[in-house]
Amino acid sequence: MNIRNLLHRVLVAAGACAVVAPALAQAPFVDVGKQPPITIVTPSAPWYPAFEKTVDLYEKQTGNKVKLDVTPFVGILEKMRNAVRSGQSPYDLLMINSPNTVEFYEGGFLTPLKEIDASFDVPKEVFSYGDSGWWNAQKRWRTANGGQLMAFTPLGNVQLLHYRGDVFRQAGLAPPKTWQDVLAACTKLSDPPKMYGFVARGERGNGIRYDWHSVLMAEGGDVARNAEAGDFTVIINSPQAKNALDLFIELMKKCAPPNYGSLGQGDVIQLLATGKAAMADVVVAATASFDDPAKSAVVGKVDTVPLPAGRGGARGAAIGNWNTAVPKNLPDAQKKAALAFSRWFLSYGAQRAFAEAGGIPNRSDVYTSDLAKLPAYRWFPAYLETQKFAAQDLGYAEGSQIDQILGLRLNQALIGEMSSGKALNAAAREIEELFRKNGRKTGSLPPLPE
Amino acid sequence: MELVNRTFRHWSLVPAVLLFAVLTLYPTVNLVRMSVSTIEFTQGGEAWSFTPLRNLALLRADEVVPPAVRNTLLFVVAAVTIEMALGLGLALLVAGVTRGKGLIRTVMILPILVPPVAIGSMWKLLYNYDFGVFNQALVALGLPPANWLGSTSLAMWSVVAVDVWHWVPFVFLILFAAVEALPVDVLEAARVDGATRPQLLRRVILPLLRPAIVVALLFRTILAFKVFDEVYLLTSGGPGTSTELITLHLYKVFFEQNQLGYGALLSLALIAAILAVLLVGGQGVRVARA
Amino acid sequence: MSEVAVDAVEVPRRAAAAFTPAHRGVLGAALLVLALAAVLGPFAWILTTSFKYQIAIYSGEWPFTPTLANYADVLFGRRSDFVANVTNSLVVASASTAIVLVVATLAAYSLHRFRWPRWVTGALLGWTLVFHMIPVMTLIGPWYVAFRALGLYDTRMALILTHVTINLPMTLWLMRAFFAEVPPEIEEAALVDGCRPLQAFRRVTLPLVVPGLIASGILAFIFSWNEFPIALSLTSRELATVPVAIARFAQQYETQHGQMAAASIIATLPAVLLMALGQRFIVRGLTLGAVK
Repeated sequence: MNIRNLLHRVLVAAGACAVVAPALAQAPFVDVGKQPPITIVTPSAPWYPAFEKTVDLYEKQTGNKVKLDVTPFVGILEKMRNAVRSGQSPYDLLMINSPNTVEFYEGGFLTPLKEIDASFDVPKEVFSYGDSGWWNAQKRWRTANGGQLMAFTPLGNVQLLHYRGDVFRQAGLAPPKTWQDVLAACTKLSDPPKMYGFVARGERGNGIRYDWHSVLMAEGGDVARNAEAGDFTVIINSPQAKNALDLFIELMKKCAPPNYGSLGQGDVIQLLATGKAAMADVVVAATASFDDPAKSAVVGKVDTVPLPAGRGGARGAAIGNWNTAVPKNLPDAQKKAALAFSRWFLSYGAQRAFAEAGGIPNRSDVYTSDLAKLPAYRWFPAYLETQKFAAQDLGYAEGSQIDQILGLRLNQALIGEMSSGKALNAAAREIEELFRKNGRKTGSLPPLPE
Repeated sequence: MELVNRTFRHWSLVPAVLLFAVLTLYPTVNLVRMSVSTIEFTQGGEAWSFTPLRNLALLRADEVVPPAVRNTLLFVVAAVTIEMALGLGLALLVAGVTRGKGLIRTVMILPILVPPVAIGSMWKLLYNYDFGVFNQALVALGLPPANWLGSTSLAMWSVVAVDVWHWVPFVFLILFAAVEALPVDVLEAARVDGATRPQLLRRVILPLLRPAIVVALLFRTILAFKVFDEVYLLTSGGPGTSTELITLHLYKVFFEQNQLGYGALLSLALIAAILAVLLVGGQGVRVARA
Repeated sequence: MSEVAVDAVEVPRRAAAAFTPAHRGVLGAALLVLALAAVLGPFAWILTTSFKYQIAIYSGEWPFTPTLANYADVLFGRRSDFVANVTNSLVVASASTAIVLVVATLAAYSLHRFRWPRWVTGALLGWTLVFHMIPVMTLIGPWYVAFRALGLYDTRMALILTHVTINLPMTLWLMRAFFAEVPPEIEEAALVDGCRPLQAFRRVTLPLVVPGLIASGILAFIFSWNEFPIALSLTSRELATVPVAIARFAQQYETQHGQMAAASIIATLPAVLLMALGQRFIVRGLTLGAVK
């Protein structure tokens, strides 16, 4: 927690509470006045219909027009790049996926939100999602500490451990709290090919890297020693990282289907939805689909808990959130209109409406509201708990390259092409070379035994 | 009208040249410029610096390139050979049909009508380990299910199979059109002269089809080098590096990692590789015929 | 000129006689049926997938309870403008095919018939071929910038022009190959008979390459119809084409197979229809002028 947040909380506690609470009850929405029409580029995602409904509500309430350019996921990055690099951006609000945020921040393509309106602030109830919306240009790091507010999170995806509540109850097992629990439970419940104890992504690339990163965090590992402070010594081949990789491989080999080396998120969801998986690492965006009879054979049977802890008791969950920002190449009136919509969208009323339509809200007060009591939202407690320890995974400019290096080496270790030690050593070598080429202060650990 | 006829020679060529030149000049010059530069994005703009040696060093140091080149060559040779053989065979076969040629042609081109993104996704379902149709059929026959996309030895062939399904219609279409355009009098004269069918095939039909076969082979090869959507959707280059193709790597470098300069150089290297393969292939055919 | 009669029924029969030996008829037929089954199989599977709920697709259910929900979502869903997308694709593909056929056929004939210096032929053919090798993703950036500067961003014209450009190499080379099949004596005879070059081309040569025109036209149409990266970057929601619309079903974490299958089936129908009609139109239009 930094000074800013602390001061804010002190102020609220000191006297603002009495004013804030009734205000919340009376006016959950925000009045933003008349604004010119804006265009938002948004990915085609399971939560898009919910977003669209919420935008409809905005249009109805305020009379301001919003156009949604819904784009395939594979194409949205390219469209945004083109938009910010050209004369005037056709989009007033961008939706940048977390791994790509540094590229846009460093490129100077965005206008810091407070430059458009100094009084704009992200409400304190909104989760910080690891400060992915803040950019400290000097440190080249995403942090609110000395950073500028560049974006807010409309949709914060994290993975939760989804498990078959009915299967666990029948076997007399409690939901797992540590990765060792997961291993014990999955070995007990595995009955291939009828039931696989645990499934996660093993496919080469971002798939395996993202799923494994949470295990790495839980075991106390990381890629660089202290990137925020500028120390880019590569520690991906630490003993902790090796533990994490060995654990992951053991889980997949013992409890996942034989094609674990090519499982994607779609495959994982498919296995859980058809009733063939007892536990699965799934993004919260897909949770609602397990209660849809058109999409799932296990309606009402899938429960969630936060991702488990590692041996040292630390928990880890990698955040994969979208970030909404305003491009620089826009006239002022458009920027103000974009910010007005953002203000409205971050209000309690809007977020609750978003949740009711099937989206994933970003405010803690929605998670503690009466919605949490409904069975359709039984994942709320797990999500709220996860926000306590969830962190951004690769916050550097080299993020996507590291994602690919690790994505290849991890997959090779998983399918047995090389030992876990060799894979991590190779990854460490390549990542160190990458940092060195980019002028970072870097070094390496002694290599692991191969 | 007289002027039109006299200048027909020129005005028949000019539109193509003009259109093509205008639309291709800028992108091509841009590509070459990028390949010798490093482009960084700062302060909302682009900063170009001239770094040909650095880009070349990146190419040399890139560990993914050698397996990618190997895989791409293997893929191209396997896929194109099978497609040419099947396409030619089918074209000759369908030529012997008297009625319903149009219908057969319409059916045969269906695979290329489906958008590549749909082909990749649908075949991924077909190859699905637990629920895919192929494994369901294998299990029903009492055989063990196959790890179509998750086994390093099988994945490449699964991808080749999809490519064959997708592109045999392309070869078929071209060669069938060529077969239909064969001068009937020549064929009949040869038959009257007493040529047997294999002789007819080898001495008359195939030589007449040569220009079309060359074009089909040429463009199929180039397209095979450029294949992207299906592989991306089916395997993303995995497992390991067993289906890593140059275009996938290029996509990651140019697009995901945003390394425009090195990516441009990689594209030029790809073009050089294609040209090399075509030249070697062309020479090989010339030697074989002599 | 009257010897060169394009008889729609007689020629195929005589040509077929050159190909099918009597004793191999059964084997040939069996192979043909096998080939058609291999082509249609996955296609039929896509058709059944389009009528299934997601869970039925996931579990490979057979038999299954059919539903029209996927088609409803594709055609009438809120995030979907599929009818508009199909219209866009039809317009762009038809226009770009028509343009590229005219431009490339004329150029191919010119290169073939009129003795241009070798460097001209080599330059044009070589340049188009090399350009065809360039990965499309490297072309999008400059084209985006150029069209945006010209005010043509997010217009059908931009798509048509770029599609003509990427289809020109193949159409040029293909038509050249088909012109090469025409015996030069036929054209010589026409010129001796008193035809001007343009007339010789239109009345004599062109009807003889009708199969080639059909093939090239079909391919150009298909490549334009299925083109994805350029359409994605140069259009926004209203002008998006069919592949872009279908790609919306391939989402970040999972694919909506049912809708994608439904969209694919709907997408192939107009293309098939247009091609069936197009074939007949071209044949009829050209043969009318040939038979004296």
